[in-house]
Amino acid sequence: MNRFQRIKDILIGLFMILFAVALFLAPEDSYVIIATILGVMLTVYGFKMLWFYFTMARHMVGGKSVLFQAIVVLDLGLFTGSLAYMNSFIIIIYLLSIFAFAGFVDILRAVEAIRFKGSWKARLFMGATSVVFAIALLIIGIIHHDRNILVYGFCINLVYTGLVRIITSLRKTAIVYIQ
Amino acid sequence: MNSDFHYYATYCAAILAGYSHEESQDIAYSDRFVDQCTVTVLKKLKAPAAAATTQLPLEMMEVRTDIVGLQDITRIWSSFHFLPRDLNSDPEKRCSKRYRNKYRLICGPNGELLKSTVELAHGKSIQAVGLAMHILSDTWAHTFFAGTPSMVINNMTNRCFEILPDGTERRITFRHSALTPDDLDNSIYTSSIYVNYENSIMNLGHGRIGHLPDYSFIKYKFMPSWGGYEEIIKDNPSDYMHAFCQMITAMKYLRGEYDSFECGKYDFDAIKGLEDEIVAIINKRQLSSADDWKALGEKLSGHEIEPYDIEKYKNEYLNAAKGDKDNTALGRFILAALAQKSMVTSKIFQTGSKLAGYSVDYQQKGFKGVKAYRKLTENDKEADDE
Repeated sequence: MNRFQRIKDILIGLFMILFAVALFLAPEDSYVIIATILGVMLTVYGFKMLWFYFTMARHMVGGKSVLFQAIVVLDLGLFTGSLAYMNSFIIIIYLLSIFAFAGFVDILRAVEAIRFKGSWKARLFMGATSVVFAIALLIIGIIHHDRNILVYGFCINLVYTGLVRIITSLRKTAIVYIQ
Repeated sequence: MNSDFHYYATYCAAILAGYSHEESQDIAYSDRFVDQCTVTVLKKLKAPAAAATTQLPLEMMEVRTDIVGLQDITRIWSSFHFLPRDLNSDPEKRCSKRYRNKYRLICGPNGELLKSTVELAHGKSIQAVGLAMHILSDTWAHTFFAGTPSMVINNMTNRCFEILPDGTERRITFRHSALTPDDLDNSIYTSSIYVNYENSIMNLGHGRIGHLPDYSFIKYKFMPSWGGYEEIIKDNPSDYMHAFCQMITAMKYLRGEYDSFECGKYDFDAIKGLEDEIVAIINKRQLSSADDWKALGEKLSGHEIEPYDIEKYKNEYLNAAKGDKDNTALGRFILAALAQKSMVTSKIFQTGSKLAGYSVDYQQKGFKGVKAYRKLTENDKEADDE
């Protein structure tokens, strides 16, 4: 990782943490912000896939499928962005689905780790917690009409991702070579 | 290649190259250990993790495929299992630098890096010889795949056929159950799952085609992602025979019998009278040829070959004083691994690619970066003093 990449990653990490703090302090209006961010992220991802197609996948056997996927993701990004001012319920379901799915994947990995006799407890705990957390959020959010907790969950995830990005950018990477 | 070839076949080649039984066992041990020297193993030994020569599936599951994680993976797999054939090659059609950098990591035999690898082991320890032999034989088995996660290079279409000895073709079925053994009778093999993400660990090396490159008996045809819709025929029996004879040539050079190591030279003379036996072992349709290679090795040396035991040198290393660790078998292996990784990373870096990470020329800029590599500079100083 060169110096520019390190500085860029640290700044992105800090921005994520600051944004999480801002959302935490004002959760009421945050659905619009989150939906907008999701829309922007998907749109950016769509453009990234297009870039990937033109720089890499077009040389690959069957690479056209990447082009079609890029168009679909781009379309989905624009659609999500347009939801921001329409229906917060869809955004909640969307976020919960992502959260629960991530937990489910962790549980599957833990089961695989058990098979390979590796360390599985922490992963299983994290996966199970995520799934339970998502279900709890659904109950609280829909039945008790308290959606702020979902925002808090989103904030915690954002802080974690930001911290990991900063820590990764500080790792040493160069290798010495003797002629 | 499977453990049978990396242990018993290497032993046979070492004996044929003129090494003693004990030396051949150590060479075979080091060759086999390349597939086991993970960060987990090194941490248990309290040895530098930077010397890892492979990664466990579980370790890879934990690796983040950000730029640092990708560089870690590429350093390990390109240096020890998928040595690039030509770091200056270009695809037929005009392409981006990003694509070209990955394309250049495609593994193959008889490249410049192979020559550098064998020469790096010259005058070094027996463990360095074993490590070099692992890399050499893998250049034959792992041809056409790259030691970096890449969908655009390592993926393939699902139309893959086994070419049977009578010339007929049988369609290969891939499944994704890691714990189920391959079904040779029905050509059902385990492979990694398709993941539509360039840097997914599922797209590392030959994962998408399963263990087909690791079986000596199989001949198959497939269509790799990078090949421009052309089918490639991989003839493992022929490749394994070349790998075996090239190992003999390389080890004769490392023993001092030849003045230089030249790519493309195979010591077929050394196996005169044994050709039929070796061809029979290579062509035998079985999951492991360990028993057959072992029997041949024992016939050649007249000694019983110890079964491979990963713990063999563990206590020697753990009990050695801090200053003496580099003089133990594992210490010498670690030094050889660091030197190889450093050399390959540097060569890739010199082509303008940062896929394997950054390399600092010690002679010009002094020591920078990962601490574990300081060992190399210390050894270099000692060599200068001597």
